[in-house]
Parts: sequence; C-alpha cells; structure tokens
Amino acid sequence: MLRKENSKYGVPMYMLHPGDYYVTDQKCLMGSIAGITAVVCLYDPGRRIGGMGHFIIPGTQGTEDILFDDISKEGILKIEYIMGEIVKLGGDRKDLKAKLFGAGSYPGTDNNPLTLSRSNITFLHDYFRNEGIPIIKESLGGRHRRKVLFSPVDGKVFMKLLENNMDASKFIELEKQYVDQVFRSGDTYGDVIMF
Amino acid sequence: MKVKHIMVIDDSNTIRMSVQHTLKELGYPITPAENGFDGLNKIQDICSKGEDVAMCIVDVNMPEMDGISFVKEFRKTDQFTPVIILTTESGSAKIEEGKNAGASGWLVKPFEPSALKTTVQRLIR
Repeated sequence: MLRKENSKYGVPMYMLHPGDYYVTDQKCLMGSIAGITAVVCLYDPGRRIGGMGHFIIPGTQGTEDILFDDISKEGILKIEYIMGEIVKLGGDRKDLKAKLFGAGSYPGTDNNPLTLSRSNITFLHDYFRNEGIPIIKESLGGRHRRKVLFSPVDGKVFMKLLENNMDASKFIELEKQYVDQVFRSGDTYGDVIMF
Repeated sequence: MKVKHIMVIDDSNTIRMSVQHTLKELGYPITPAENGFDGLNKIQDICSKGEDVAMCIVDVNMPEMDGISFVKEFRKTDQFTPVIILTTESGSAKIEEGKNAGASGWLVKPFEPSALKTTVQRLIR
C-alpha cells in the first residue's frame, strides 16, 4: 500500500495493491485498480468508519454453498480482516454497507477468466447475503479494469472504467503477482495454540 | 444426562454457520450468539433450563462485548468449561491477553476444519 500525504484531493490518499486492506475513521481517500480481482468497500455511515480490501477467490466455485467451499476462505478471511478493524474502531457489522467492484473477465489471464469472474461474483453476492449486509452499489464482471476511489467516512465512491491498460500497467503486474501467489499458496490455515 | 451445548460466539453469520457445519457430526447442540453479551445471556438461558455448556468458541473483535471481555466475565462464574478463541488476530500481545483472561486455546482464522474438530474433541473429553 502506498500512502500519499498531500494528494491532489486535499486529503491523504492510500493506494491499495492487490492483497491489501485498510480501515480508518479518518477523512481520506483509498484507491485501487481492480482487474480480475475484486475491490470491496465497506463502511458504517453512522459512525463514519470504512475500509477497503482487494483480493481474489482463487478458483472455481462448486455448486456447494460458500460456507463449505474451500476456495472461499481467502475471500472470507480478507473481509473478516476489514470487519475486525471496523469493529475495533467502534463499528458494527449490522450497520455496514458494501460497494463492490472488479472481478472482470478478459483474455490474457492464465486461468479461465469467465469462470473465475463468475466464481468471484457469486462469492461476493453469497457472502453479503449471508451476512445481511446490503450491497449499495456494484460494478462487477465484464471486460474492464476499474479504477476505484473510496471515501471511507461517508462511503462515497468514484469509479472509472479503464477501456485500455493505460495508467494501469503497474497494477496489472502487481495483480498478476498476487493472483499467482494466491493460487500457489493452496490450503493455508491459521495456527492452533493451546494454553 | 444433561444436554451440553457448544456456544459459537461470533458476529459473522458466515463464521457461525461454518463452525456449526464443521462440528455438527460431534453431536452436540450448537448455540450461536452474535457477541459476548448475547453469549452470556444465552448461557444463562441454557443453565436456567437445567442444561449445560460443554465449551465456548468465541471471536475477539465483536461489538457490544468483545471476546476477551466475554472470557473474563464467563470465568467469574465458571473456571472449568473450555473456551477457545477463534479469530483473525495473531499478535502475541493479544494471545497473551486471551491466555490471561482464562482462555483454553487460540485458533487463528482461517481454521482447518479437522484441527477445530480435534481441538474441540480433546478439550471436551
């Protein structure tokens, strides 16, 4: 993640790379470029707390519910990180709203892009339905990259569809590295510590 | 024999359902709760019906009452029932806080279903 103290918008700007997440109750902007990956923006408008996460579900979702499908755990974990930080700052899951972007499908990716895109979109819809968190805005799928700017304290989003790869070359490389790493990492679980 | 419940205390419905699904074959009734406060109330309801709690699985970051506060409150009246913390938190200071509060173990999410099942079986025995 890159932090720019004096952005042209007059507030600090955080550029999230694929795999990053960030949560704050301070006025700022968070930005990212979503290609085949998804950018999730969550905010608690009453308490003025919000966060962004950038991730991918690494594989094709089966017919099972996301609860029982192993590939969903990367997405659940990433959203749990954001939720946890929002709660630490005083937010409540019951008051959260979501805005979702990305999960595009376009040629040039190593995996079947359409299937991967559908899997990620299905995951996002199923997850937020399970949690009872309303999706206020979404722009998912299609053959686009999306540049997203998010204001976490009020949930405002500015999104631009990138018709070509201009301005996104660095993100394309970072996204490729992140997706490769997530696909390679396979089954990674947390530690068990007994007292 | 008294009915013994496993409490699953997490503000995420996805995690509650996922833990419930993982542990269903152990045969214990699973009682979900949305935060520490809700958990304590439900434990009181269980006990007032003459039933018991076999163990608690609790998240850390929750609104109203977090997991560490729940363990501290729970331990005021129950020193022996196992409590496992199941959380995304993995910092040593937080783990130490959980240990000092009286937790029996600490599992970092994402949890491996078989590891959770084994841990629960070992502690309940």
